[in-house]
Amino acid sequence: MESETKLKDPLSLKITPWVSFIGFFVVWQLLIDTEIVPGILLASPVEVGKLFIDKLTNPDPDGAVLMTHTMISLLEAVLGYVLSLVIGIPLGLLMGWFVVAEGLARPPFEMIRPIPPVAWIPLAIFWFGIGLTGKVFIIWACGVVPCVINAYTGVRMTNPTLIQMARTYGASDWQIFRWICVPSALPMVFGGLQIALALAWTTLVAAELIAANEGLGYLITMGRRLLRPDMIVLGMVMVGLTGWVIGNIIDRIERRLTAGLERGGAAT
Amino acid sequence: MTHVTIKIECRNVAKIFKQRGGKVQIPVLDSISLSVVENEFLAIVGPGQCGKSTLLRIIGGLETPTTGNVLLDSKEVTGPGPDRAMVFQKYTLFPWKTVMGNVEMGLKLGGMAKKKRREIAGHYINLVGLQGFEKAFPHQLSGGMKQRVGIARAYANDPKVLLLDEPFGQLDAQTRYLMEQETARIWSAEKKTVVFVTNNIEEAVYLADRIVTLEGKLPGRMKSSYVVDLPRPREHIDKKFLKLRHIITQETELLL
Amino acid sequence: MNTTMEHAISVHAASRGNGPAAFVRRLLKNRYVLYVVSIVGLLAIWHFSAVSGTYSKYMPTPGMVLNELWRIAHENLAGQNLLGHLWSSLHRVLIGFAIGSVVGVPLGLFMALNRYVNNLVKPVFDLIKPMPPISWISLAILWFGIGEESKVFIIAIGAFVPALINSYNGIRLVDPALYDAIRMLGANRWQTMVEVTFPAGFPALFAGLQIALSVAWSCVLAAELVSARSGMGFLIILGMTMSNPSMILSGMVVIAITAYLITVVLSKVEKWVCPWKVELTQ
Repeated sequence: MESETKLKDPLSLKITPWVSFIGFFVVWQLLIDTEIVPGILLASPVEVGKLFIDKLTNPDPDGAVLMTHTMISLLEAVLGYVLSLVIGIPLGLLMGWFVVAEGLARPPFEMIRPIPPVAWIPLAIFWFGIGLTGKVFIIWACGVVPCVINAYTGVRMTNPTLIQMARTYGASDWQIFRWICVPSALPMVFGGLQIALALAWTTLVAAELIAANEGLGYLITMGRRLLRPDMIVLGMVMVGLTGWVIGNIIDRIERRLTAGLERGGAAT
Repeated sequence: MTHVTIKIECRNVAKIFKQRGGKVQIPVLDSISLSVVENEFLAIVGPGQCGKSTLLRIIGGLETPTTGNVLLDSKEVTGPGPDRAMVFQKYTLFPWKTVMGNVEMGLKLGGMAKKKRREIAGHYINLVGLQGFEKAFPHQLSGGMKQRVGIARAYANDPKVLLLDEPFGQLDAQTRYLMEQETARIWSAEKKTVVFVTNNIEEAVYLADRIVTLEGKLPGRMKSSYVVDLPRPREHIDKKFLKLRHIITQETELLL
Repeated sequence: MNTTMEHAISVHAASRGNGPAAFVRRLLKNRYVLYVVSIVGLLAIWHFSAVSGTYSKYMPTPGMVLNELWRIAHENLAGQNLLGHLWSSLHRVLIGFAIGSVVGVPLGLFMALNRYVNNLVKPVFDLIKPMPPISWISLAILWFGIGEESKVFIIAIGAFVPALINSYNGIRLVDPALYDAIRMLGANRWQTMVEVTFPAGFPALFAGLQIALSVAWSCVLAAELVSARSGMGFLIILGMTMSNPSMILSGMVVIAITAYLITVVLSKVEKWVCPWKVELTQ
C-alpha cells in the first residue's frame, strides 16, 4: 500500500522525455546540416526519411523495394524460428520427462549449446550456400537451444505432488506427461519463445550482413559498399522496428494464451 | 513514590492512506492517544489489518501521521532516527553483511571507531545468545537466529525505545515460544522502553507490563488497556495468566 | 524438488523383476548408460557418414577435425596460430566489454537514482535498444575503417545494453524494507546509498556484467565474420572460403569451449563476490 501521497510529477519531469526524444533527432539533423559530421559518414533523419519513402516503390540502387527486403528477412527468420519451435519444444518436453529421451538427446544438445549462434554462419554457408536454406538452418540451430532448455526446465519444475497424485490414480507415464507435465511447462515454454525470437532476428541480420543477395542485412551492407549512409541507417532502423513489432506480437499472443491457462489452471 | 517519566506520547494520532493521486482514501488509524512510561513493556494487540503496524511505524518515524503527533521525551518525532530502534517481522537483515556487520551497523553509521563498536556489538551478540556466530551470514542462519540478530542490532545502537513489529510472526510455534522467553530474559537484563506489536494474545500476556488492544477493523481505534500485574518469569499455565488471557480473548472475539 | 521428481519418475520405471531381460531393461533406462550410448553412437554415425562418399566433401570425420585442430594450433594462418587468433578475439572483447560496462553501469545507476536522468536517457536508449549491435557494423566500418576500432565499437554497444539494464533494475528492485532498516539505524542519504543501495543492487549488476560479457563474445565473432584479418571469427570464415570444413569445425569447437569457460569462470567469481546472492526467479 502506498503510504504517502505520490506527489504529482512536476511538469519539468514530465516534459523531459519528450524534450529528449525530439532533441535527439534535432541534434542529429543539425550535426549533418552544419557539417560537423560529414554527410558521407552519417545520414540525417530527413535523408533517411526521404529514402524510406523512396524505397517503398523504388528498387534502386540495391535491387529491391524496401518491403521486399523486409519480407525476405522476415520469411527467413520466421521459417527458422517456427522450425526451431516445432523441433525444440517437443524435444525439450520429452527430455524433461522420459529418461530415454534425455539420455540420448542430451549429449548432442550439450555440444551444440555453448556454440554462439553466429558461429554457425560459415558452416551453414559452406553447406547450403547463400540462399534461403542456409539462413533457415542458422536460425533453426540457434533457436533450438533456448526452446529445448525452457521446455526441459518447465517440465522439471512440475509440481511433484501432482505427479504422485496422478500415480495414485494409476496414470501411465505417457498420460502424466501429456496431461500434467506439458501444461504446467507452458509458462516457461513461452518465456523461451521470446528469447528464441530475439536471438533469431539478431542472428539473421548477422548472416545477411555476411552473405546475402537480399534482405535488410544486405541493404545495410550495400549501403556501405555504395557509400550511402542513408541506406545503412534505413536498414538499421527497419531491423530495429521489425524486431520490435514481432516481439510485441508474440507478447500479445503469449498474454492471451497464458492468461487463459492461469485462469483455468493446469490440468489439476 | 518514584517519579514516572513518560517516554512516548501519542496525541490523537490519525492516519489516512491516499492512493491514486488522492482519489482513494483509506483511514487506517483514528484518534490514537496513548502514553508509554520509561522502561515499560507495552504490547499493542489486535487482529490482522487493524493498523497496529502503521501505528508502530508512525512512532518510529517511518510514516507521518495525518493528524496528531508523537512525542519522544517531549520532543516531536519527525522522521526515523537512531533513538528509536525497530525489529522487523521479516528480519530485514543486510544479507551482504555478517552477523557482526549487521549488529554494529548503527554504531558504524554514527561514526564510532571500529574497536569500540566491535566491543559493544560483541556484547549484544552474546546477550542474544549468538556468541560464535559473528562471522556467519544471514542466509546461513535459522529464522530464530536471524531475529536474534535483529534484536541485537536494535539494542546495540543504544536507542531510547525499542519497537518490535510482530517479530515472531515468521517463526514456527516452538521457536516462537523460545524467542518469547529469550526476549523476556534480554529485556530483564537490559531494560528499555519497548512497544511490541503482536496478534498473539498469549505472547502479549507473557511479555508485557501493559496491553493495549485495538479494534479489529479499519480504522484502528483504541479499545481497552490492561495492566499485567504478574511476576516474572511468567508461566503460560498460571491461573491468573490464563484468566487474563481469557478476558482479552473474549473481548477481541466480540469485535470480530 | 528435483530429487522428489526423480523419485516420482523412478518408482514407476520398468525396473521390477530379476533376470537378464530385466537387467538389460534397467540398464537401458539408466541415464548415464544412455549418455554413453548417445555419444558413442553420434561419433560413429558422424564418422561413417563422413567417410561414405556422398557428403564426405562437406563433412570431415571426427578424426580429421582433431587433426586440423592440432595443425592450426601449430601452424600460422594469416600470421598467427590458433592461440594467436584466440587472443586477438579475446583482446577485442575485453576492451569493448570494458568500455561498454564503464559507460553502461554508471548510467544505469544514475537513471535509477534520479528521475530526471531517467526521463532524459530512457527515450533515446529505447530507440537504440531494438537495433542489434551487429547491425551497426556498416556504420562502424564507414567511420573507423576495418581495423580494431570498428570491432571494439560493436562489442562496446553489445555490452553496454545489458550492463545498463541490469544495473538500472538492480537498484530499482532493492527491497524497500532495507531502506527502512538503515534509516531506523540513523543513516543519512549518502550512507543509505553506500550501505544499502549499492550492495543490495550489486548482485543484479554483476549478473548484467555476465550477460554483457557473453554478448560481447558473440559480437566479436559477428564483427570478425563480416570483416577481419585475425580472430576466431576470421578463422572460421577462412575455413569457409578455403572450403576446409575441418577448419570451420575446429574453430567452432574452440569458440564453444571459450564461451563455456567464460560462463563457468564468471559463475565462480560470482559465488566468491556475492556469497549471499538470492536466486531471483524470472
